[in-house]
Amino acid sequence: MNAPAGLDLAGIPERIQSEVQRAIQRSIKGVEYFSSSGPSLGSTPKDILAVRGTMNLYHYRPMADEIYRVPILIVMATTNRGYILDMVPGQSFVEFLLKRGYDVYMLDWTAPKPEEKRLGMEDYVLDFIPDCIRRVQQDSGELDVSVIGYCFGGVLSLLYGSIFHDGPMKNLICFTTPIDFREMKLFANFSDRRYFDVDRLVDSVGNVPPEMILSSFEMLRPASRAASQVQLWENIWNDEYVKGYRMMDRWGTDTLPLAGEYFRAITKDLMWDNKLYNDTMSVGGRAADISKIKVPILHAVAEHDHIVPYEAARHLISKVGSSDKEEVMLKGGHVSLVAGANAVKRLWPKLDNWLGKRST
Amino acid sequence: MADKGNDPAVIWQTMIGEMEKGFNSFANQAMASPEFSRVMNQVGGVSAGAQKQLGELMEKYLLAMNLPSRAQMVGMAERIQSIEGQLNEIKALLQQVHHNSLTPEGGYGTPRPPRTKRPPSEGEQK
Repeated sequence: MNAPAGLDLAGIPERIQSEVQRAIQRSIKGVEYFSSSGPSLGSTPKDILAVRGTMNLYHYRPMADEIYRVPILIVMATTNRGYILDMVPGQSFVEFLLKRGYDVYMLDWTAPKPEEKRLGMEDYVLDFIPDCIRRVQQDSGELDVSVIGYCFGGVLSLLYGSIFHDGPMKNLICFTTPIDFREMKLFANFSDRRYFDVDRLVDSVGNVPPEMILSSFEMLRPASRAASQVQLWENIWNDEYVKGYRMMDRWGTDTLPLAGEYFRAITKDLMWDNKLYNDTMSVGGRAADISKIKVPILHAVAEHDHIVPYEAARHLISKVGSSDKEEVMLKGGHVSLVAGANAVKRLWPKLDNWLGKRST
Repeated sequence: MADKGNDPAVIWQTMIGEMEKGFNSFANQAMASPEFSRVMNQVGGVSAGAQKQLGELMEKYLLAMNLPSRAQMVGMAERIQSIEGQLNEIKALLQQVHHNSLTPEGGYGTPRPPRTKRPPSEGEQK
């Protein structure tokens, strides 16, 4: 009897042997998986410059003999922890920047405490970011500061830049930053003003619990968690795969609660009234018109971003007032754009090439 | 090696990937409807409302038991947080003084590198 076309009978014993070995490895590694704690994340040496409630400012220790004049302040998204940008040596965006000669600071967030439920958009934009900028200036001895904002950190950086458009921000880099919130269609539907009573929610719970934030992210791709667990089991014999999975899984589920008033402002001003896109946004009574931003700006967006679809991000570059501006679309998703093997070869070198010239 | 098209492992992985995409796409369509938003928020609203009522009931119970209420605990937490903040400020100042005494020119045990780096020329970039 002949083998079907394309089937190599001679390779079958070898394949069976390999599968048996993998099955044995799966059992051994499976036990290891549940009994070990996973890689240590965010371990690039750093000093804590300031801790003020939910606000944490770090300075990473330089790794190059000579550094660029202009320091960088990374503004992390308020829903997640900053170690996504500092996973493990060799896969750390922060470490990459340090080795390329940048002086790196990060504004990271911890869970707001119940008594911080009154923190509003103005606390983030008019207090925390300017405070960190001042501390970076003081610590580095430089007046100019470049700002990198990831996801909602990009929105906060845009608001800051539009209000403090006379300086001291030297360059602005946004990663996957939405400005047209109508185009975040599922989030817009979840928060439909006809059915979603944000006042009742915030008044009831204070800070919006992390489980609710995590569920709303997971609902965007409801089958993906189950599918990723099946893939994990298949690849559990592969140490590199497991390490990558654990890093991403830990970060993905390490979601932060959002301060109640801040969440109320996001829902009403951005999700409902789309004020950033409509040029009617204000923070603490101060107009935040992004056309006032004139500094060089780079916006990196991901081709397959399911959280911030391109339609929600694409008007950013056309709306800012800068003459030196660029949008770059790279392969990847919302997270793989900035972290992991995809980012190492695509976004990081692109950013270095763009920012180095503007950091002297 | 067997042809990839006939490899059961590859077929299985492709099937899982396609099922994931199909289910996500189907669920996304369903979740985009106003009906979904209405039902989701009704359920969420009931849960939040119940949580609020339970909170109020607990407050009364604690008062009757002569125990501190949540508001009082929050007030105490605020004061502790304020003390923590001041301690952090003092710690940062002490560290600064300590490092300065070790190296008069900078805030670290070793002097910071000079801010003189220039970007590599086009030819040098990989």
